[in-house]
Amino acid sequence: MRKLGYRIAAIAVVTATAATVAVGSASAGRIAAAVRATETTAQTPVGRMVAADLRAPAGGSPADLAVQFEALLGQHAVLAANMMRSRVRGDDDFVQAANASLGQNTTDMTGLVGQLFGAPTAEKFRPLWSQHVVALFGYAGALADHDDQAKTTARTQLTRFEGQLAAFFSGASQGRLPLATARSLVVMHIQHLTGQADAYAAGDYAKSDALSRLGFQHTYDLGLGLAKALLPPADTAVLEQPVWRLRSQLGKLLAEHAVLIEDATRAAVTRTPDFSAAGASLNANTSDIAAAMDTLFGGTAARQFQTLWGSHVEALVSYAAATAGQDEAKQKQARDRLTSFQQRMGKFLSDATSGRATPAAMTSALAEHDRMLLEHADAYAAKDYPKAHTIAYETYDHMFHLARTLADAFGGAVAARLPKGGAQTGFGGLAGVVEHF
Amino acid sequence: MRRFAAALVAVALLTACGPDRPESEPPPPAPPNPADSFSSSTTYETVARPTHIRIPSLKVDSKIIDLGLQPDGEIEVPSSVSVAGWYDGGPRPGQDGPAVILGHVDSSNGPGIFVDLHKVKTGTVIEVDRADGSTATFKISKLSRVAKTRFPTDLVYAPSLDPTLRLVTCGGTFDQARGSYRDNVIAYADAV
Repeated sequence: MRKLGYRIAAIAVVTATAATVAVGSASAGRIAAAVRATETTAQTPVGRMVAADLRAPAGGSPADLAVQFEALLGQHAVLAANMMRSRVRGDDDFVQAANASLGQNTTDMTGLVGQLFGAPTAEKFRPLWSQHVVALFGYAGALADHDDQAKTTARTQLTRFEGQLAAFFSGASQGRLPLATARSLVVMHIQHLTGQADAYAAGDYAKSDALSRLGFQHTYDLGLGLAKALLPPADTAVLEQPVWRLRSQLGKLLAEHAVLIEDATRAAVTRTPDFSAAGASLNANTSDIAAAMDTLFGGTAARQFQTLWGSHVEALVSYAAATAGQDEAKQKQARDRLTSFQQRMGKFLSDATSGRATPAAMTSALAEHDRMLLEHADAYAAKDYPKAHTIAYETYDHMFHLARTLADAFGGAVAARLPKGGAQTGFGGLAGVVEHF
Repeated sequence: MRRFAAALVAVALLTACGPDRPESEPPPPAPPNPADSFSSSTTYETVARPTHIRIPSLKVDSKIIDLGLQPDGEIEVPSSVSVAGWYDGGPRPGQDGPAVILGHVDSSNGPGIFVDLHKVKTGTVIEVDRADGSTATFKISKLSRVAKTRFPTDLVYAPSLDPTLRLVTCGGTFDQARGSYRDNVIAYADAV
């Protein structure tokens, strides 16, 4: 029954009609929950965001939509990895919630594909995309059950979907994305996901997390690459401009922060043995963000930033650990540290951007970020996985827009101090020659 | 009598069970949560300052000096035409972001270090040595010549997190009245 339940639950991700499938009562409840979640998300407008003051312009240019597409694709990699890991752990309730989030992500992505490339393309995209999710679900189930035959079957399915997805993307690009390139990109995506699940099943959490990080970054970048390939070049040329590059890159770094802090606090609250690896990944991301701040504002500012950011990360992990230990005093300490962080980081960001990011707006946005993360930890402690996944989805959205706000403020601040005009790098001794270059 | 016997049985049971009752033992301590000892990272990978540039195909082989801004906001240029300079207000070569290296095309009576920059081809290799002994390698991706009045500040200097390099020198016709060339030649390169 467990296998049947999983199999049908997987189908529920792709179609709400699975609710009519007759199954045993124990599985039926979970499956119906997954289906309801999928139905609900089908009505969710694309680009649904939680922070009004951080909202992107309505509608959005092709470039705006392309950057949203890469964020959703990156989120898919995280949600798929979470789903596969929870199947490996045998955590049925978690699997259902993770599936619902994946279904929502697929719905949002399909909506965006429709906006970017037209309804007919979206109609082809959804079933193809969903089927590869189902195959990943099957692969993780085979790992959990130590069922080599099922694993082989899932691999065969995945190989078939790799070809179909590659053909879909290549075909939609009108020749701009060669089939072989598309295939190699999709194959790598699948390899990252199956590889991290293999390592997780083997208890090699460090390797699993390393592959998961690679998978997230690859898939995030893949989203922009696909958008560039599928959209007319005139619509995407703007994406090469520094301001758009920074929006994309900072978006990726901060989105990764959101998913890694959630993974670390989940492991802390639930005391799973993968915490150390999750913490190491979180630290690697923190270092990457600090390195980006070095690029933008120099070493001194980057070190100040990292100290502040680190206090935020430590407080959130400390809160999760205190929640696991039911230590209310430590929980309060962590909350107080976060409040202090929000004030100090708000001032730091305002100073760094010469007021482009105001202390009030930044403090408020950071407080919202932390509030969601604390509720996320609380939801895990209560084993309320649907709520935890809903909050995680909202946190990712929120961080996407916060990253956009920060990228624009950072870019504006740096632009204000760039050299003015061209360089006077000639004295005319070879003027008669140089003018013929 | 029956009541007495029952009491004896009860006492006997209590005596027998007493020492082994699970609830009389303290609960086993919870295993330590590794999250309790978590510390956030306090360092990140840094990149050393550039010291030397080589472009074998252009026979460029020069030390690198630091350049800042002039009081009017224009970028400084090397005082010697045979030496390249790095804009130290921006990223270091190999660090995320666009590093910018300038060199003169000529002096008042002869060639400068970047006299042949206009000849550079896509794929040309550039090597930049750094103070820690490491070397960053780049390949040319694009070459352009633009009027200084339309200098693409954002494309040359503005921050992205791509590890890139821009080489800048002069080009075009010489404005005798102003004592400067009207254009800049810009070579864009990506990290290898």
